[in-house]
Formats: sequence, C-alpha cells, structure tokens
Amino acid sequence: MRAIVIEDDLDIQQQIVERLKSEGFAVDSTDTGDEGLYLVQEYPADVAIVDLGLPKMSGLEVINQIRDEGNNIPILILTARGRWQDKVEGLDAGADDYLVKPFHHEEMMARIRVLIRRASGWSDSRIVCAPVILDTATQRSYVDERELDLTAYEYKVLEYLMLHAGEVISKTVLTEHLYDDETDNDSNVIEVFIRRLRQKLDPEESLKPIETLRGRGYRFTLERAEQS
Amino acid sequence: MVVLAVFMVLTAIALERAVVKRALQAEEDGLQLLIYSLLAAIDRDQSGRSLTVSADRLFEPGLVTRNSGLYALLYDQRKQAIWRSLSITTDFPAIPKIEIGDWDFGIVQHQATPYFRLGFAIQWPDANDRLQRYDVVAWRNAVEYFEQLNRFRQTLWAWLIITTILLLLVMYLVTRWSLLPLKKIGLEVKAIEDQQQSGFEQDYPDEIAPLTENLNILLSREQYQRQRYRNAMDDLAHSLKTPLAVLTGLGDQGTLGRPQIDTLREQTDRMNQIVSYQLQKATSVSDIRISKPVDLVAVLEKLISALEKVYQEKAIQLDRRLPSQILLRMDEGDCLEVVGNLLDNAFKYGKRRINVTALVKEDKSTLLTIEDDGEGLADSEIEQILNRGTRLDQATEGQGIGLAVVADIVESYNIELEFSRAGLGGLGVSLRFQAA
Repeated sequence: MRAIVIEDDLDIQQQIVERLKSEGFAVDSTDTGDEGLYLVQEYPADVAIVDLGLPKMSGLEVINQIRDEGNNIPILILTARGRWQDKVEGLDAGADDYLVKPFHHEEMMARIRVLIRRASGWSDSRIVCAPVILDTATQRSYVDERELDLTAYEYKVLEYLMLHAGEVISKTVLTEHLYDDETDNDSNVIEVFIRRLRQKLDPEESLKPIETLRGRGYRFTLERAEQS
Repeated sequence: MVVLAVFMVLTAIALERAVVKRALQAEEDGLQLLIYSLLAAIDRDQSGRSLTVSADRLFEPGLVTRNSGLYALLYDQRKQAIWRSLSITTDFPAIPKIEIGDWDFGIVQHQATPYFRLGFAIQWPDANDRLQRYDVVAWRNAVEYFEQLNRFRQTLWAWLIITTILLLLVMYLVTRWSLLPLKKIGLEVKAIEDQQQSGFEQDYPDEIAPLTENLNILLSREQYQRQRYRNAMDDLAHSLKTPLAVLTGLGDQGTLGRPQIDTLREQTDRMNQIVSYQLQKATSVSDIRISKPVDLVAVLEKLISALEKVYQEKAIQLDRRLPSQILLRMDEGDCLEVVGNLLDNAFKYGKRRINVTALVKEDKSTLLTIEDDGEGLADSEIEQILNRGTRLDQATEGQGIGLAVVADIVESYNIELEFSRAGLGGLGVSLRFQAA
C-alpha cells in the first residue's frame, strides 16, 4: 500500500511516516500543499493523509483540487480545530474521514485501513475470496481455516491483489504500491513474491488463485464473496 | 395632536363669545342713541299735562316707516303708552319697573319673534313744575341679528375645522418626515442583527450622521475584535495541539517502556481534553442577537451526509422526519457543534438505526429529537457525561468533551436538553429551541 502524507509539522509528519512504514506502507511525504498535490497527481497512492492547516495552499484547497481532477483517492484529514464546522467543511470538500489532533496512531491506522478497504468496495475488515480470507485488522490470512505464514511483503502483495480481485495489476503498479522511491524496486522481486504466494496459497495447485497475464501483469482469479 | 385640537376649539369658543358680546354691546349702544335722540325730541303736548315726541325733530327713519323693525314707545307713570312711533303696528307689552335713570337692556320674545329691548326711566317736570315719571322703551327686531350670528358661527366653525385638519395633516407629515431617518435606522439595525449587512449604509441628515458613523465604527471594531479573537483561538488551537500531537505520537511509537507510555498517554489525553474543551467553549458565540438565522434542517442534512460518509460501513438506516426549513436564531458554528456532537454519538453508538425528527411546535419553539438503537445510557452516566472532561469510554475518540461542549452551548442559548430512553432502545436526545 502506498500512502501520501501532507503535514507541515515535521515532527508529526515523521511520526506518521514511521508508523505507516512499520505497518508495511510505502510512504511519500511533504510539508506543502503544492508538493502534496503533485505527489497525489504523480503517484498512484492508496490513501492520502492531509493536514487542513497547511501554510499557503490549505489542505481544503488541496482536497478540492484532487477531487476536481476526478481523483478518487481516499483522503483522511488531520485537523487541529475540532469544531464540527471544520470537519463538515473538510468532508464536504471531498475528504472521506477526519482525525482531530492529537490522535493516537492506532486510531489513525484503523481509519486508514477502513478507507482503503472501502475504496476497493469492502466494508468488512475481512476480505473474502473463498476459500482465501484476509483479515486486514489482524493482518492474518487463511485458506479454508488454515492460517498462512506470510512475510510482511507477501502479505502486502496478497492484500493488494485481493483488494483488486478480478483486475489486472501490472508489475509496475504493484511495485509502486509496495515500495518507497528510494528502495531498489527490481521487478524480479515481485515475481519471487508471486511464486512464493502461489506455493503458500495453493500448494496442491488446485485453486490457481493468481493468474499471470504475459506482458500485462497479474490477476487474482478467485471471486469476491458477496457482502454480508 | 390632541392638544392642538383642544387649543383650536377653545380659541374658537373664546372668539365666538367675544364677537357675541361685542355685537350685543353694539345693539345696546344703538338703542341708547335712539333713546337719546327720542329724549331730544320730547316735548310737552298741547295740553301741557303730558309729553309727546315731535316728529319733525326725529331723524330716525326707522321710527316713521311702518314695520321697519325699530319701534319706540313712551309711557307715563300709570304705564299708559302716551306716544308710539309710527312704525308700530302691533301692541308691545309694558316693561317691568325700572329705577329712574336706569337702563334696562335685554332680549325679549314677543309674538314668537326675538327683540332687543332697551328701557329708560326719566323724570320730566309738568306744567306745575312737578316731576313726573316717564319710561322710554325702544324695540328692535333681532331676527336678522340672530341670523347673522348663526352665519358667523357656521363660518367660524367650518373654517376652524378645515384649518385644524390641515394643521394636523401638516404636523403629521412633518413629524413623519423628520422621523424618517430614525425609521431607516431601525430597519438597518434589524438588517445588522440579521447579519444582512455589517453596518449603517444609508445617508443620514447631518443631525443623525454622527450617531450612525460612530455606531459604524463601534460595529466594525467589534467585528474586528471578534475576528481577531477567533483567529487567536485558531492559532492557539493549532499551536497547542501540534505539540500535543507530537507527544501523543511519541507515546504510540513504542520506543518507551510500558509505564512511561501509559503516563504519557494519560497526561497528553488530559491536556488535550482541557485544551479542546476550553477552546471550543471560547469560540462558541452564544449571542443570539448578532447571529444570522441558521436553517436547522440544512445543518442536519449537512451533518448527516458527512457522518454517513464517515460511518459508511455501519450502513446505518437513518429515518428523518424534517420539514423543508426551520430557522433558528443561533450561530451556525454553534448549531453545527451541538447537533454534530449529538448526531456523531448516535452514529457511533447506534447499531443499525437512527431516527431524526424536527418539528416546530404550536408555541413556535422547535423540537429536535435524535434517537439511536445502541446501548443507551444510565442516568448516572448522563450526569457524568455532562460534566466536563469526564470520559465514559476511553477508547472512543472525542467522546469526553463532545457532550460537555454541547451542554455548555445549550445552556448559553437557553436550549432545553433532555436525555431519555429512545423508542428504538438506545439513547434519545431531545433539544427544545426557543422561538426565534
């Protein structure tokens, strides 16, 4: 998952970035609205965390512009002003949720996960593509009640593919959503993760959950369970 | 106005009296002159025992023309008329006794006709030089006098009424015209109260202009101060909450030991509550007089759509019974704050259903009810929750100060706040807003 953090207080920005990274996110961050807008436009991120009280270009303007461009990226706003007027204004402008400063990082992560799931059409924290089940709250995964033993990156790949089940996901997109800029993003590594995931998910090769489309990418083939 | 009318009537009455008195005096004087001229023409008759009036010395033509309206008689001491003017065609009654040398003037009805009558008693020596008493009486027909008097009265009162009405009209117009600027000020004050304009915009006459100009200065100063205050509060919020956020984040990072983290969290949470509560309280307007009316229904819709977005996955079924508009005299920020906190709680604690009802009662007060199907609250919990800074549920963000802020704003606007068990099973909150 890739997140963009736009926060002008560098201490808070750093804390958020660290927390996101420790949860396996690839993170881009900035302290200005202009640059934030640029990041959102240029990088296919899964969530944007925007502080409303930015200097010069305000958070509200950033959100307005993102939405004006037809970008549906989930946006979580951070605001020091806890008044409902400000919250409603932010949500009205196109934000999806808000957090009033100061906030606990667990709360922030919970909200971010909800936003990402919601964006892919899941309202439950459990993503089910029978027989594969992914619990985004606990970050555990199961196949027919059997818990899988996945590494952090394997989990991230599986989560991304399952959230976009049925869609073709290119190697580049996967890389972008998994890695920071600075990391060496060798696409061969993705192939390794996919191979390992296939082995763990489907040791008997009876499910074939991940399909390779030559030159185009991968597709999670198992169908989503109907929403309860 | 009334004073003027009374004054005019009194003036007219005094005028009329003066005129009547003057006219009567003139009649009396005229008859007196006539009697003097009669006296000048009196002479002994041929017998020498009695008196007569010699016609050739009488210069009053009315006395010699029949029925002229002017009559004169001369009586002796036995009240026998010894001379009658030629104008007389009927009998005139004798007059009561008069002292010698006295005048007796009056208006007398004779044969259904009003007359002025003047009597005068004289003594005249007879042939033996003995003084004999005689009465000279003059009558004048007063019909024309009364007709004239009536005409005068009619004219007087007609003109009086016309002038009074004209005067009153002019006074009314002048008053209205001179009070026009004050009326304009009243309208502008109303517009300022409703926040349709920020100060006095119209031109006023020189007498009033200093007043409106000073009021404008006062208003703009007040607005400036209010804005400055709000900005200062925003800055304060930002500059207090940012370091608090850093501290909170520090506690969440896990680099510290468990006991330190707990202490840090506890303290930062407490600080946050105090700061948030005081800031919310400070920015609340609570002054309905300068507030532009806010549409409660629009506020509800705005909040519901925002909260439905935030609590999307709860898929809450919200039933609303709202009219198209309810205007309240309240600051929009305060209204959003109160309703926002209550609705947020309903979304937070409700399981599947929320009912929102707003209606205007017969006494023009507005009743807003928000019900959820959550666990509800015990009386003791409600009591606790309304006290500032008390947190019922540490895990739920924002809960602590939300209702305390609501309680504060509600109190300052004199809004009745009641908690009950909702028909849906959870908490029911009702707000009664006084008539705008």
